[in-house]
Amino acid sequence: MYFMRMFGNPKWVTYGIILLVLLFIPYLLSTHDLLLFEYGLTFAIVGLGFNLLLGYTGLLSFGHGAYFAAGAYAVAMMGKYLPQAYAMEILIPAALLFSLLISIIFGFLCVRHTKIFFSILALSLSMLLFALLFKLYHLTGGSDGLRVPIPTMFGMAFKGVRRPLFLAGTYYYFLLAMFTLSFLIMRGIVSSPFGKALQAIRDNEIRAELIGIRVRRYRLYAFCISGMYAGLGGALWSFVNGHVTPDLSHWVFSGEIVYMTLLGGFGIVEGPVVGAMIFTYLKLYAMGNTEYWMFVIGATLIILVLLLPNGVAGGATALWTKIKNKRLTAENAENAGKN
Amino acid sequence: MWVIYTLNGLYFAALLFLTSLGLNIILGVMGILNLAHGSLYAIGAFMAAWTIIQIVTKVPEPLLYVSLLSGFVLAGIVGWVMEKTLIRAMYKRTLEYQLLLTFGALLLLEDLIKMVWGGQALYASAPFDLLGKVEILGSVYPAYFLFVIAITLGVAFLIWLFMGKTRLGIMLRAISLDREMATGLGLDIGRLSTLAFVLGSGLAGLAGALVIPTTPALLGIGMEPLIFAFIVVVVGGLGSLKGALVGAMLVGLTRSYGIAIFPEIELPLLFLIAGIILVAKPQGLFGR
Amino acid sequence: MSNEISRRNFLKYVGAAAITVGPLTGATKALGQAKKPIAAIPIKIAAVSFLTGAAAGPFGIPADNTFKMCADVINKEGGILGRKIELLSKDENGGVDAQVKLARKLLLEDKVDVDLGYISSASCLAVLPLTDELGGLIVAYDCGTHELMEGPKSPYEVPKFKLGFKSSAHLGIDNVGLALMIKKYLPKIKTIAGVNQDYAWGRDSWLIFETAMKKLMPQVQVVKTLWPPLGNTDFTAHISALMGAKPDIVHTSLWGGDAVTFTKQAAGMGFFKNIKTAWSRGEPYPQELGKDFPEEQIICCAGTHYFLYPPPEKSPLNKWFVEEYRKRYGKYPSYPCYHAYQALYLYKHAIEKAAKSAGGWPTNEEIAKAMTGLTFPTPSGDITIREDHSAVEDVLVGFSKLTPKYPFPILDPKRMEVFPANQVLPPVGIRTVDWINSWK
Repeated sequence: MYFMRMFGNPKWVTYGIILLVLLFIPYLLSTHDLLLFEYGLTFAIVGLGFNLLLGYTGLLSFGHGAYFAAGAYAVAMMGKYLPQAYAMEILIPAALLFSLLISIIFGFLCVRHTKIFFSILALSLSMLLFALLFKLYHLTGGSDGLRVPIPTMFGMAFKGVRRPLFLAGTYYYFLLAMFTLSFLIMRGIVSSPFGKALQAIRDNEIRAELIGIRVRRYRLYAFCISGMYAGLGGALWSFVNGHVTPDLSHWVFSGEIVYMTLLGGFGIVEGPVVGAMIFTYLKLYAMGNTEYWMFVIGATLIILVLLLPNGVAGGATALWTKIKNKRLTAENAENAGKN
Repeated sequence: MWVIYTLNGLYFAALLFLTSLGLNIILGVMGILNLAHGSLYAIGAFMAAWTIIQIVTKVPEPLLYVSLLSGFVLAGIVGWVMEKTLIRAMYKRTLEYQLLLTFGALLLLEDLIKMVWGGQALYASAPFDLLGKVEILGSVYPAYFLFVIAITLGVAFLIWLFMGKTRLGIMLRAISLDREMATGLGLDIGRLSTLAFVLGSGLAGLAGALVIPTTPALLGIGMEPLIFAFIVVVVGGLGSLKGALVGAMLVGLTRSYGIAIFPEIELPLLFLIAGIILVAKPQGLFGR
Repeated sequence: MSNEISRRNFLKYVGAAAITVGPLTGATKALGQAKKPIAAIPIKIAAVSFLTGAAAGPFGIPADNTFKMCADVINKEGGILGRKIELLSKDENGGVDAQVKLARKLLLEDKVDVDLGYISSASCLAVLPLTDELGGLIVAYDCGTHELMEGPKSPYEVPKFKLGFKSSAHLGIDNVGLALMIKKYLPKIKTIAGVNQDYAWGRDSWLIFETAMKKLMPQVQVVKTLWPPLGNTDFTAHISALMGAKPDIVHTSLWGGDAVTFTKQAAGMGFFKNIKTAWSRGEPYPQELGKDFPEEQIICCAGTHYFLYPPPEKSPLNKWFVEEYRKRYGKYPSYPCYHAYQALYLYKHAIEKAAKSAGGWPTNEEIAKAMTGLTFPTPSGDITIREDHSAVEDVLVGFSKLTPKYPFPILDPKRMEVFPANQVLPPVGIRTVDWINSWK
């Protein structure tokens, strides 16, 4: 029944059109641009999960790189130590499992606190993982990182296939499918009673507790879901990049995740998707054109925070609402005039 | 050698104390976690290095040590500008925005440093060389490290005096204890917050300046001290002067002994200790 | 009627074609360039070195200067086969991940003809596999880890990368060379320690040194190994820990800004009074630190790269190189400079060789074929690239000594040793560690 409602809803029609366009992207973009696009998609997945924690539960973690790294390193380490099991069907669940594990441990420590201390703690824990990945040279390759070879996928081997070809073909559609799935699941979570409960916790913690919502537990659930999304993004990212380094767990990288979510607008599911795509291109454009790209990114962030606190998607929605309202008032005025 | 290891640890702790004290003051009085704190450390370092390079053969030697204060001054000025422009705008907004703004400031400042001073390493070791070595229990030790420890103890004493005995200091403490009550009592939160931010930033800059005679000024020099400062804040507790002191000593000594005994472990050891303390006492050793 | 004519014409055409094409095919092979003219468009060469950060001063900038100098000289002489070099200097700073992305951009989007890059072993390890992935040509010019071109087990298949090359010899020559030097000049030492950066370069350098020492001087004990991270700025704890362990010799592969900072801090703490350091690639630091660099340290030159070796009388090419570099940049060239020269001239000689049989500008595969087995002259002597795509070089080791002629310590001419390649490099296809362990 819900499914039927979709067809009439303009939002779902838009999604459908976008998905259709996305199917043709490999034919529209050059190899290098397609790579950027795929980076953007993986970050979009991370952003979807991160938004659940920030936009809907009201917790700001500057340490989500840890779960991204967990997923990415799960893939890379399996490539190094269990090459016989190096198949996508095994790697994705492994990444999800590993990032879930880390989220549970770190999350348990973090959700006991809020606000500043939560943020500091999330940050510090991600730096702990960073330090471990950095120092355990013989296990993780240390600061040199690890290579991520092309895996087999559902029985298909890619011997002798160069990575750009792999990424432009089978992998792109797999990534697109994962993204679509993640998006649909997140929409479901957000509109579910669980999602509503999270928003209640964000808006008024004490009241939520009084209604009977187990605040700490729900926070932990949100934390772990967002952690798994980050892990999935990390794993998918690792195939595109071909290489993982401990920097993925560094707090500055986590900051970029926050940046993306804000850029797109948190509190809306589509927000981080938009933000991730824009940020990926913004960063690479800046890096390619000036040596002071950090200045550009930093200045953009500051301007954004001051002017568009609801992010691009939020700003767009606000604009859309404004136009709708104008039209409504115009209509009302007309109708009033008629009467 | 254990005396030397301890002195090394105290030297490291001294720098750490100054940095985390600055972070703590801002955190305590304004409730803001300044993610750009490391950049202020870097600004202090570059300013001091540049100044010393300019004047090194032209002025009497004691002036070189005074010129280290230039780092303190410039960092304070930058802090003042930051507070007036960015932080002010964020008073009414939520935590996320504050963190994001300071993160944006970090990116901005790192590149500003690159624009002003370039991408190369700046060496200014004259203050270190000039103080020479002293003999301690049969071992030779650079006097400069003792100088840094002494300066830090001096600064700690001054801050303690300031916070405990002067009107301004007591007002700052009042705000950090209970902001609403302080406003109710008529304290000028705006001006006092600026003071706290300038002081905190200046302390970071001073720490950066003090490290220059032993280390070149390099892009990104402030990133690691920032992480260490976080660890100290987590371990020592938010907003506590005593916590900053004890935390800094704990981290500094652990690192020094750790490298001597378990060379493989270095950084993760510190996080492990922080983690243990957090599980046992989540607010930190002296936190509220 | 038309059929007849067509058939006659047809035979005429076939005949004509046979007469022309036949000799042509033969002629193509003989005349080469004459058949496919080379357009005089510039060759895009990317040179990636540390242009900012601590490694820039002692390493990246001298190397980049040399790339610029050589490109300029080659262009003045007419370029490579008439094509001028367009040099793109890129910064290696920013971490391994940034290098992977940069290399990808250079090969895919900017479509450079060749990427001459990388000082850090970490960059090389991450970037060389891109040659297979993207079909681009990369020559690693400075990074030293032996693991770059070695396989996991002896004997291993060569080459590891079809289009990836290393135009300088790997760290085996430095660390085996140091061990041989210590055995010859300091046979009575009892203890050694190591302070190396915690990544491939540092770990691999120590491994080879330790393995060689165990074989050559089994009575010597290792009393401490320290692993500061790359880019560490505070070595005081490490210095104290080393002094506490009382080693006779400390092995170090510290390079770049870390080496400079370590030496300054160590000198200030009285480190060099009772301890000698053995620098696996220490040649640039005496010039970098001037009189602050202590005497009697064992210095290795990453090959035989030194502004005083071969002496100007013996090598006109080195004489020219040192004078030209000094004229342009005011300092004596150090080994990163020599390495840069090697990479660019390897590419040039390979193109010239490959073009003879390719009949035009060669493809990457043809260049790679020409590079393998190529011997060419450099200011330090002739260098050969063997089948594993890695360079074969002798190694020069010496003791630092102050002389009145130079404002910084030079290698004491009375105690300079050159160890030939076959004493310090394993044969093709054998892992360095296995080769050392097989010594009698």
